Parts: sequence; structure tokens; C-alpha cells
Amino acid sequence: MFLVWLLAVPLAGAIATLLASAKGAKVVAAITSFVALVGYAGLLFVNRAGVNWPWISAWGVRFHLEADGLGLFLLGLNAVLFVVAILASSEEMGRVYYFWLLLLEFSVAGLFAAVDLFVFYVFWEVLLIPVFFLLTQWSGARGKAAALKWLIMNLVGSFFLLVGIVAVAVIHHQNGGAFTFEISALSGMTLPAGAATWLFVAFLVAFWIKAPLWPLHGWMPDAYGESPAPVTALISGVLSKAGIYGILRVMMPLFLPQFRQFQLVLLILAAIGLLYGALAALRQNDMKMVTAYGSLSHMAMMALGIFSLTEVGILGTTYYMVAHGLMVGGLFIVLGLLESRTGTRTIQDMAGLNKSAPRLAAYFLFFVLGALGLPGLPGFVGEYMIIQGLIQSQVVFAVVAGFVLVVAAWYMLRVFQAVMQGPAKGSAIRDLLARQVAWLVPLAGLVVFIGLWPAGITSHAAPSLYHVTHFLAGKGGGQ
Amino acid sequence: MNGALGPEYMVVLGVFASMIAVMVSRQRTIAAYWAALAAVVAAGIWTAALWSSPALPISLYAQGVRVDLFSLAIDGLVLLASAGALLVGWNDARYGADFPALVLLALLGMMVLGLANNFLVLFLGIELLSLPLYVLAASGGYAESREAGLKYLLLGAFSSGILLFGLALLYGASGTMVLTQLANSSLILPLAGAGLALTVVGLVFKLGIIPFHMWVPDVYEGSPLPVTTFMAFGTKVGAAAILLRFLFYGFSVAVGWWEPALGYLAVLTMVAGNLLALAQKDMKRLLAYSGIANAGYLLVGISAHNQAGARAMLFYLLVYGLAVLAAFSVFTMVARERNSVSLNDLTGLARRSPWLTAFLAVAMLSLAGIPLTGGFVGKFYLLQAALDANEPGLAIGLVVGAMIGLAAYVRPLQRAFQGGDGTSEAPVRWPVAGAVVVVIAVLGTIGLGVYPAPIVHIVNHSAAFDWLR
Repeated sequence: MFLVWLLAVPLAGAIATLLASAKGAKVVAAITSFVALVGYAGLLFVNRAGVNWPWISAWGVRFHLEADGLGLFLLGLNAVLFVVAILASSEEMGRVYYFWLLLLEFSVAGLFAAVDLFVFYVFWEVLLIPVFFLLTQWSGARGKAAALKWLIMNLVGSFFLLVGIVAVAVIHHQNGGAFTFEISALSGMTLPAGAATWLFVAFLVAFWIKAPLWPLHGWMPDAYGESPAPVTALISGVLSKAGIYGILRVMMPLFLPQFRQFQLVLLILAAIGLLYGALAALRQNDMKMVTAYGSLSHMAMMALGIFSLTEVGILGTTYYMVAHGLMVGGLFIVLGLLESRTGTRTIQDMAGLNKSAPRLAAYFLFFVLGALGLPGLPGFVGEYMIIQGLIQSQVVFAVVAGFVLVVAAWYMLRVFQAVMQGPAKGSAIRDLLARQVAWLVPLAGLVVFIGLWPAGITSHAAPSLYHVTHFLAGKGGGQ
Repeated sequence: MNGALGPEYMVVLGVFASMIAVMVSRQRTIAAYWAALAAVVAAGIWTAALWSSPALPISLYAQGVRVDLFSLAIDGLVLLASAGALLVGWNDARYGADFPALVLLALLGMMVLGLANNFLVLFLGIELLSLPLYVLAASGGYAESREAGLKYLLLGAFSSGILLFGLALLYGASGTMVLTQLANSSLILPLAGAGLALTVVGLVFKLGIIPFHMWVPDVYEGSPLPVTTFMAFGTKVGAAAILLRFLFYGFSVAVGWWEPALGYLAVLTMVAGNLLALAQKDMKRLLAYSGIANAGYLLVGISAHNQAGARAMLFYLLVYGLAVLAAFSVFTMVARERNSVSLNDLTGLARRSPWLTAFLAVAMLSLAGIPLTGGFVGKFYLLQAALDANEPGLAIGLVVGAMIGLAAYVRPLQRAFQGGDGTSEAPVRWPVAGAVVVVIAVLGTIGLGVYPAPIVHIVNHSAAFDWLR
């Protein structure tokens, strides 16, 4: 029942924020997200039972949620990052801001737990709405356009996903199976040769846009650039994982033969994205955009891990999703703290800030090192596993990935060096406040912890991927 | 008889009662509205009571009308539409004293369309629906309203002529007027083909399918807001019901004649209707084009020509109607004395009236087909029907239309959440009757999105076309 807790608490809290006073909304939201986090601890340590209730029985739709190794730690990422993001938000935002944030937490939690395609799709699309309004109302000058771009690009993908989902269920039914949207029941079904490729593309485009992966990342620069820092942290830390997660959760069981067939194309596309993101990050002068494009590159790294179609690569991706979410979320929030102090994001306008704000500089460095993949921090483990997977399948792409790691170190350190080191330029800034350190320390601690003990995640994820990895190893599986 | 036509009789009584109320007081009176609303409620209760009657389906008047679960479902929908229209225009001094009586007369026409099983009854229903609406469209008293009424009358009469011609040809080709006998009669082919084409054109004109949609935006824009509400919901239900009955009962055999044509029309309507909606600045015109696009979605259910299609169409009529009721009642409140709402009027609405904006958001998101609103479940059902009929083209057309429509529907919302210009910061006033409509419609929309199972169960029973797949 802890799974229901994770959904019900944010939903109830969202309504509570609307009833709270304008100043009290943040407190209500913070308490809510913390209660949800406690619920996650319960899920992790006490009871992982899912729920499976009938929803629309005429169509075989069941409200089926499970917390297996694939989604379990993403649920945790969701719970943790929302606490941090809410604490990092200003009280001035007003109650509706916190309402949308908690609604977002609710829908993302549902997404990471759903194992029924209908339920999955419902949460998949519902989460667009809070982000849309967050971008419309609480963002920069071009926020409205960014919001429309976000909504329309994502919905273009989702609508094709919708056709794909219904088509898969209908084909399963016409082949003599029950009318169901249960992923486990649909997995390994035989699709008609003509339809299979189209369905594969329909699913893939939706996930590709949401991640985002090159070349369907058009919404990303505006949305990342315009949104307030906590929202950016959530989009890039949690929501972007939805795309990769969707490929793993939904597409892997359904479309394994198609993954085999198109492996090379997919690898090439992801590798281009990897290079493109890294090189674009190198050219940015806006420190938030450096991180944004760096994140784009990292998403491509995760995609490469999946498309390597090896056990270690896929495991690396499931691990890297959580690790990247924590690190990039922390990085965006630190950038937000920096921006609120200096009033600019252009790296040329800042220098030597570590003199006046040593603690802020330390946390900045920590998350920068995590993002560039320093051994000991979790980014390294994920990238290592992914590259190992690539070596097993297509060694060329391992070389590309290795090269990009070097570029990643370059663009991340370039920002740090320009902003924090060197002779101080401009007036001194205030260092981190004690209450800000209070939630940055646990986040950093968590990053170190999973970096030092990756097996805590991978050992759980491995059984959930059993079906896929078994099939990939050619030991039967499938039907 | 055993009361099978009870709901219709209640409405007839209501027409007389509300007219008498006006005659007695010799001026506009609230009693007429109460009489009309009472008749609608009584008819609704009677419909619900008939639902579990074991005698169904009942054929009356030499198979002229057929009371079955489908007709009862249509009754329920049009009763909802007219109750909504009455409440949106509740005792509004701008419309004539005969507003409630005319709404009930048009309602009667829609109910007849739900039961028609005979060419003559079909035509009777179409005329009974149209004539009061011509008057209602012109009842605003200002120039645009009169223009709308005249336009509607001229084009409507033209389409009635086409319809009548088509029905006459079909009678000549088959020798029967009864829809359920048409299937088994030996048709004289060229004559029947021409008759079918003309009849379908006459009917899709009422539904507002592109390219027979020209009247819709102008009439919607010119008519008073409650009348537009009624036309957007009620007329669509009536026209869709009779089109489905006519084709499913009469031409289930000769599907090759109409299925592909309607499929192409559906795709054209969904895509072009939403594209045109994108360009609108006036909210009534926006919802007019949205109504056209939604007629295209309904046509998907019909041209899929399976049980799921009929069911999805019925379900979609309900979710569309609820969204339209909610949106129009919000617009009526925002418009107040004026008769139109533009995009600019909505600017800053979120600050003036946050709840009203939330209601509008639910209605618009439902029209756009976002999950947890009824609109999503409706589109999902239609997709199932289209794909089950092995018509991926229809499914693609549907989602492409929905994508374009989305941009049209979120634009007013973005305006509403934007900061206002400071000119009119006063909160919008809520008339009680309008508030009842908007709250019920919004709760229904969310309810259908969150737990649609009971309504799915009902439509599955009412659209039992057992001879289809």
C-alpha cells in the first residue's frame, strides 16, 4: 500500500496547497513531499506490494501499479528530488505553483509504477499539464512560447504513442488473446510484419521526444532556459528519465525483434546526439545551457546503453538514470542559487566567486565532477557499464562514448573554472545559507552513497530485466 | 403503448405548459422556464424508468418509431443538452418569452430523431429540430442574430430539400420507407445509390461535416449564447443519432457504398476543422470549428461501422456535450451583457476568477483529449473502434486532428493565466443557474475521465448492434 501512498499523498497535498494561505503553501508542499518520501522509505524497506484494481473492465483496463527493480529507484529519485525542488523554491511563488509541483509529483510517481499501458499513458500525458502551466506562469520572458513548444512537441509524440498502444491491444485481441493493456500479457506477442515497424516507430518517437534525444530535442533549450531552477531540475532530473524509462519498460518487452533489426540505426542516432550535445555544450556561454546540452548528451549515453542490447549496457542505463537524475537535479539547483545571487547566467560576467562563496563553490564542484563522471561518483559507474556494453556489441560506439567523456570533462570544468576560479570580478556574493546547506548535504550524501554502492540498485534491477536479458542472450525467452 | 413514448409526451406537455405560462402572464415569465425544466426532468425520469423495461425494443406505428436502448440513450443526451441550454439562458431578459417553449420543441425533434425508423419520421424529426432553431438563432434581436437566423433558414431549407429528394429516391428504389426493412429489400441500384448519397449529404449537413459546414461558424457566432450551447450539443446528438440509425439499420449490407466516403469525410473534417479552429479569435467561432472537428470524431465511430464504433460515438457525444456545456456557461458568465467573448476578454481571467478559469481549463483540456478528463476516454474509445475495424487511416486522422486542436484549445487558457491589463479586475459574477450547469458539467467531465466504467457499461448496452462485429 506504500505505492498508493506515493500517489495519494502528493494528490491530497496538491489540493491542500490550494486551501493554504499564500505564504503557507510552501510549508504545506514541503511537508507533503516529505511525507511522500517517508512513504517511499516504507516502500523500499517494508512492503513493495503493488495494487491491481479493475478500472474499466469492459476494455480490460486495470489500475495496476508495481514497484519492481526498474521503477523502484526512479520512484525514489522522484520523491527525493521533489523534496529538494520544493525546498529550493521561493515562498513568493504562490499556492498554485506548489499545486502544480505536487500534481507533477503525483503523475510522475504514477508513471514510474504503471505496468498497464492505459495507466501508463494516462500518467504520461497528465504530467505534461503541470509543466505547461509552470512554464507559462513562472518562467522568463519567452516562457509562454517555451510552454507551447513543450506541450505540442510532447503531445505530437504522445498521440502516436496512443495509436500504438491501442493498436497493440487490438492486434493482441484479434490474434485471439484477451483484450488487455497489461504489459506483461502483451510482451513477446507476434506483430504483423507490416505493422510492426510502424508501431515501433510510433512508440519510439514519443519516448525520443520526451527524453529528449537528438534530433527531437527542439523543446529542450527553451524549456530549460526559461524555467525557474527547481522546475529545470525536475524536468531534467526526473521527467527526462520518463523517456528512457518508457523505452525500457514498454518497448523492450514488446519490440525486441525490432530493436535487433534497427540496432545500428538507433546506435548511430544516439551517438550523433551524444556528440552533438557535448559539442553544443562546449559552445554555450550560458552556464545553464551548458548543463542543459550536457544533459542532452547524457540522455544519449543512456540510449546507447539500451541500444547496445547487452545485459550490462541496459543495467548501466537503469543505474545511470537514477544517478544522473540526482546529480543533474542538484547541479541545476546550485546553478539556480548562483543565478539568484549574481543575477546573470553568462559565464563571462562571473569570475572568482569561490572567494566570497566557498561553500557554494564546493557544492558546485561536487555536482560538476559528478556530471563529468569522476570515479567514485555515480556518473562514472553508469558510464563504465554502458561503455562495457558497447564494447560487447559495437566497439566503434564505445570509442565515441569514451571521446565524449573527455569532452564532458572539458565543458563542465570550463564553466567551473570561469565562474568560480581566477581573480574575482564584480561584487562579492552571499554564500549558501544554513537552511540551503541543510538539504544540499543529504542530496550530495545520497549521490556519494549510490556511487560507492551501485549494486544496491543494479542487483534489484537485474531480476526485472531478466526477461529481456535472457532473450538477448539467446537462451530462449520471448514466447 | 405501455408508456414507451412517455418522455416525448412529457416534452409535448412541457411545450404547452410553458406557452400557457407566457399567455397567462402576457409577458416573459420565469414560470415558463420552470415549466420547461420540469418537463425535461420528468422526461428524464421516465427515460430512466423505461431503461430496464423488459418490453424493449418496442416498434410502434407500423414500425415508424422504434424505442430501444439506443433511443433512450439519445433521449438522455438531448434532455441533458436542453436542460443545460435552459439553465444557461435562465430567465434572461434578452431572449423572447418563447425561448423555453422553442427549446422544448427542438428537443422533441431531437428525441424523434433518436427513435425514427421510417423515412417520414426521420424527415419529421429533422424539421421539428430545425424550425424552432431557425427562430431561436434569430431571437437575439440584434443584427448578427437575425443574419444568423436567416442564413440558417436558407441553408437549412436547402439541405432539407436535398434530404427529401434523397429519401424519395430511396423509396422509389426499394419500395419501403422502413429503415429496418431496407436491408432486405431488393434495391434498384443507380437510383438507390443516388438516394443514399443525397440522404447522407442532407444528414451530414446537419452534423456540420466539411465540406457541408459553411453555415456552422456564422450561425454559432450570431446566435445568442444559450442557443449556441443548445445547437452545439443537441443538434449534434440528433444528427449523429439519425445518421447512425439510417446507415446501420438500412445499409449495413451495402457498406462499400458509404464506408470509405464517410471515412474520408471524417479525416478531412477532423484535420481541417481543427486547423480552422486554430485561427479563431472569437470564442464562439472557436467552439464552432471545434464542433465541426468533433463532428468528424463522431463520424469516425460511424464509418468504423462496428459495435465499438457505435458505442464510442455515444460515449463521445456525452463527453463532448459536457465539455461544451461547461465552456459555454463560463463564456456566458464572462460575456455578461455582450454576446461574444474574444480571446482578449479572457486575458487575466485566472486572477479575476480562479475557479471559473479552472472550470474552463477542464472543459478545454477535455476537448483537447488530455487524460483524466472524459475527452481522453472518448477519443481512446474511438481509436479502439477505428483500429478494430482495421482502419489505421481513421486513427491517424483522429490523432493528427487532436494534435492540431490542442494548440487551439490551450491558447485561451494561456491567455487566461496571463496577467491582465488591469482594466477589468472585478471578479466575474456567477448566476446560480449557470453555476449549476458548469459545476455539474465539470464534475461529469472529470468523473468520466477518472472512472468511466459505469457509462461505458451503459453505452455498451444501448448500442447493441448484434449483427456487427
